Amino acid sequence: MNIPPAPKVSRARAFSLVWVVPVIALAVGGWMIFRELRQRGPEITIEFADGSGIEANKTILEHKGVAIGSVRSVKLMPDHLGVEVQLRLDRDAAGVATRDATFWVVRPEIGLSGVRGLDMLLTGARLAVRPGVEPPATRFKGLDRTPPPDNSTDGRAFVLEADQLGSLNPGAPVFFREFKVGSVETSWLADSATAVLIRIRVFAPYVNLVRTNSRFWNAGGVSLKLNLLGAQVKSTSLESLFAGGIAFATPDGKTLAPPAEEGARFKLNAEADKDWLKWRPSIPVQSEEASPKPETNSAIAEALKK
Amino acid sequence: MSERWQLHQRASCARTAAFAVAAGIMLVPANVLPVLTTSISGHERTDTIFSATVGLCEDGLWALGAIVFIASLAIPFLKLLGLGWLLLAAKRGPGSHSPKLTRLYSALDIIGRWSMLDVFLAAFLTGVVQFGSLARVQPRAGIAAFAAAVVLTMLATRSFDPRILWKETAAEPALSV
Repeated sequence: MNIPPAPKVSRARAFSLVWVVPVIALAVGGWMIFRELRQRGPEITIEFADGSGIEANKTILEHKGVAIGSVRSVKLMPDHLGVEVQLRLDRDAAGVATRDATFWVVRPEIGLSGVRGLDMLLTGARLAVRPGVEPPATRFKGLDRTPPPDNSTDGRAFVLEADQLGSLNPGAPVFFREFKVGSVETSWLADSATAVLIRIRVFAPYVNLVRTNSRFWNAGGVSLKLNLLGAQVKSTSLESLFAGGIAFATPDGKTLAPPAEEGARFKLNAEADKDWLKWRPSIPVQSEEASPKPETNSAIAEALKK
Repeated sequence: MSERWQLHQRASCARTAAFAVAAGIMLVPANVLPVLTTSISGHERTDTIFSATVGLCEDGLWALGAIVFIASLAIPFLKLLGLGWLLLAAKRGPGSHSPKLTRLYSALDIIGRWSMLDVFLAAFLTGVVQFGSLARVQPRAGIAAFAAAVVLTMLATRSFDPRILWKETAAEPALSV
C-alpha cells in the first residue's frame, strides 16, 4: 500500500497576497478623487442686482457656447440690494476670471429682429462671460443684460450723431445699397444732451465702403408720400420697418476719399438726398458669400467622376 | 487544535480584514464623488449619494429618501462595523456570544446585496433615460467606486468562516474552502 506523503503546509502564504486588494483600492480611490479635484477650478463670487432664473447647481456659465463653470449657491446680499452668486469654474477655464472680465445673465430674448437663446426657455437663464486681460480676481459685479459687444470684435466701429434716436435699437441693420453690411451696437446721449450718439459696427469685409466723405441716413420705418399723381410707400426691408435701420452711401469720383478710421464720427441725416442714391463708387470688398472656392468645386467634380 | 484549522482561521480572518479595509477605502470616493448627473429639460444636477438623499427628502419623497439612505449610506457602514466586530470576536476566541455573532453574520450576508440597489438604479436610468436634451442621465465616477465598495464588502463577508466563532469539538471541522 502506498501512503502519500503528508501535505506540506506553509505558513507564510495565508497573509501576504490578499493585502494587495486594499492597496489597489487605495490607488484606484485616490486616483478617482485626485482626478475629480484636478478638474475643479477656482471659486468666484458675482454680484447681480437681480437673481431671477439663477439656480444653485443648475445654472451654468458659458463662454463661446461651452459650459465652463456652474453656480454653487445663490444668496441675498447682506444689504438686501442684490444677490451674490457663488460660481465654480472648470480648471481649464480658470483664466477667464480676470479683474476686467464682464459677467452677465443671458435670458431668452424675443425681439422683432429675431429670437435669441430659445433653448433657455427650457433651461432657464445662464451666465456668460467676456474675459479680460488683467490679473485674476475672485469678486465681480455682474450685469443683468447682455453688454454691447466690445471693440475687439471684427469689423470697424463708427459713431453717428443724430438729432433723434428714431427707432434704432441695438442690433438694427446698417445697409449699403439695401444690403446688410453692419449693425447698430449701442446708443447714448451726448454729454451736452444736444444729440444722440449711435455706435455702429460695419462687418470686416465691408469696412472699406465707409470713406471719410460717406453719408449716413436713417433708413428705418416707412416713408409715405402723397401727391396728385398717387401715393408712394417706401421701406428698406421688413426688418428695418420694425427695428429701424441705417443706410449709407459713398460718393464716387475719380479719386475716392480715404477709408474712415475706427471710431470716426458722422452725421446721421433724417433721409437721403436723391444724389446719394446715384453714387456708384467702385470699392473692392472681400465678401465671404461670393462664389464657392475653386478647390471645393474640383473636389466635388472629382467625387462625381468616381 | 489542528495546525490546518488554525491556518484556515487566520487566512479567513486576513482575507475578511483585507476586503473590508479595501471596501472602507472605496467608500470614501463613493461618498465624496458625484454618482449621477441628471438633466431633465435642461435642468442639470449632479448628485453625490448624500445630496441625492437630501434632495429626495426636500422634494417630500421621504419614503424614497429613507430607502436610498438605508441602502446606500447606512448599510455599507453598518456592514463594515459588523465585520469589524466579528473579526474582533474571532480574535478574542470563541465565547458565549457565538450564536448571536453567527446571527449577525448571516444578517450581514443577507443585507449586503441590497446596497447594489443604487448601482442597479443608476445603470437602469442611464440605459433608459436618454432623450437628448429633454432628459438625460449620466453615471459619474462615484457610482463605480460605490459598486466596488459593495462588491468588496460582499467578498469580505463571504471570506469570513462563521465556524471560527465557535468552540472546537473533538471532530475536526471539514475544510471545504
